[in-house]
Amino acid sequence: MQAEALNQIPIFSSLQADTRTAIARRAFTRNLPTGCTLLVEGLPAEYGYFVLSGELRALRMNQDGRVQILARFWTGDPINLISLLSQEHVNRATIETLTNSTLLVLSASDFNDLIHRHPDFSTLLLRQFAARLTKMTDLAADLSLYAVRARLARFLIELADLTPSHAGWTQDEIAAHIGTVRDVVGRLLRDFESADLIQRQRGQIVLLNRDELTRISKD
Amino acid sequence: MTEPIIPSINLTLCNRCTQCVSGCPEQSLVMTERGPEFIKPITCTYCGDCEGLCPTGAIRAPLWVTWDAHV
Ligand code: SF4
Ligand code: SF4
Repeated sequence: MQAEALNQIPIFSSLQADTRTAIARRAFTRNLPTGCTLLVEGLPAEYGYFVLSGELRALRMNQDGRVQILARFWTGDPINLISLLSQEHVNRATIETLTNSTLLVLSASDFNDLIHRHPDFSTLLLRQFAARLTKMTDLAADLSLYAVRARLARFLIELADLTPSHAGWTQDEIAAHIGTVRDVVGRLLRDFESADLIQRQRGQIVLLNRDELTRISKD
Repeated sequence: MTEPIIPSINLTLCNRCTQCVSGCPEQSLVMTERGPEFIKPITCTYCGDCEGLCPTGAIRAPLWVTWDAHV
């Protein structure tokens, strides 16, 4: 991989030139189409990834044999770092592409090597962990402060205001994101629809009443 | 006429349990050697039941959230 290519990637822009060169020497890219399984839960963790483009999601098998959606990944997000750095060294989740995706790939030994030789690379990883921890802390605060109805209203507003996700959101993925379960999301969407706050069309949720949804989001 | 949007099925995640096929209220799916396939996509109402029934996360019926043009 060319070091110049890494200059174009925002997450690596804070790294020193020699660190970018060291990553470029070791890394390669992988292009995957939609619906590809990148990692399988429970298999040895051999590679770590950074998303260069696309959308992916993490799934994990529950004790009752049902899959649980854990997280979504976008450009700049690292994938499988915790598996690589933990003692068990196994993939902690199955990762699936939701759109055509391009990933920067580093082997486990290259990751360790970069961490030991390049402190700015370690700092980058720490920042990524800190960002993830902040997200989880925010969610925990949200869980205690706001009712699930408020969290769903807020998330719908966020999704409608953001650049649309190419992959869309399933009810399970929405549930995972706001800390609840699919059935509750389905029930609340039906409630919002009967109150004329949203309209559901095939594959679309159209938000009809910004003032009321904003009010609910603060309940 | 454009094809209706239908749920996607990732066959690599599918364990062939057939729950989506038997649970579809419109009988839009059939089980084939490869896994479940849409026999009558036009009858699929995009209700999402198959996605909710699927134990492995193989089926996605995603939703896109937008504002109404008048809001
Ligand atoms: S979305 Fe509903 S109608 Fe369409 S295949 Fe799934 S269960 Fe059947
Ligand atoms: S419910 Fe899911 S796992 Fe079962 S056959 Fe359908 S797609 Fe496959």
